[in-house]
Amino acid sequence: MHDLAYVAAGYVATGVAVGGYRWRLAVRLRRARQYVATATGRGRG
Amino acid sequence: MRRFYRLLSALGTVRAQRILGWATWLGLLVTAVVALAVVPADADQGDVQRLMYVHVPAAWVAFLSFGVVFLASVGYLKTGRIHWDRIAVSSAEIGVVFCALTIVLGSLWGRPVWGTWWTWDPRLTTTALLLLIYAGYLSLRKVADSPARRARWSAVIGVVGFIDVPIVHMSVVWWRSLHQEPTVLRPGAPTIAGSMLATLLLAFLVFSVAYGYLMAVRLRVGRLEERGAVPVSAPRARRPQPAVAPAGGVTNA
Repeated sequence: MHDLAYVAAGYVATGVAVGGYRWRLAVRLRRARQYVATATGRGRG
Repeated sequence: MRRFYRLLSALGTVRAQRILGWATWLGLLVTAVVALAVVPADADQGDVQRLMYVHVPAAWVAFLSFGVVFLASVGYLKTGRIHWDRIAVSSAEIGVVFCALTIVLGSLWGRPVWGTWWTWDPRLTTTALLLLIYAGYLSLRKVADSPARRARWSAVIGVVGFIDVPIVHMSVVWWRSLHQEPTVLRPGAPTIAGSMLATLLLAFLVFSVAYGYLMAVRLRVGRLEERGAVPVSAPRARRPQPAVAPAGGVTNA
């Protein structure tokens, strides 16, 4: 594999790690808001 | 300690998160452009050395995260206040992500330079151990049977586990290692060219902002999850259930 392919893979992996974790947190945040809203019978938490 | 908590609380505002979010994504983009297209390639290793600008800052964020876990764990053991536990678990999660990323990036760098994806070198082995310690920390939280016990066990691991961080850093000095010695965080002046050092410092700054951003969002998630549900480790029968739970429910860390 060419050197640049390793570099590209590394930068993509970094983007995927940060973006993927942020996306996962967004999913959890949405679920938690729904859950709080349902549990308290009020609007968004 | 109180100032440390106030600083973390300040990150929790929506406005702070929005600013940190923009700074993170813009900063990562600028760092990538500078690292890939502006700063010259290394004379010995060529282009593959450009991985340094993500590998080293990722390791720094992992260390920073575990340092915060350590401080928050001490805070919990000293005061018994649950917000320290929330800070510790939030930081541990981020630390695990960046520690795993560090290992992946090191592997991608090692293959063309050392000729292997992985070797049981002291630096690599102690870093893998660090990942296992904090992955274990997160797993343990799912089996503890009461929130107080969960927080206490976690805090003990958060304090004891941190011992591995200086060992990872010093491993290349203490033992014969394939991995290069520290070039920035070392006694005396850094041993890399000025433009490379400037790019590396930019990457350190951007990755630190990214940590602050992810921490702010994760703390918000933690607060909401605690408000919406009794922690997941409590026995199911004792949990107060909402009238209609959303599909999938909430997974507390």
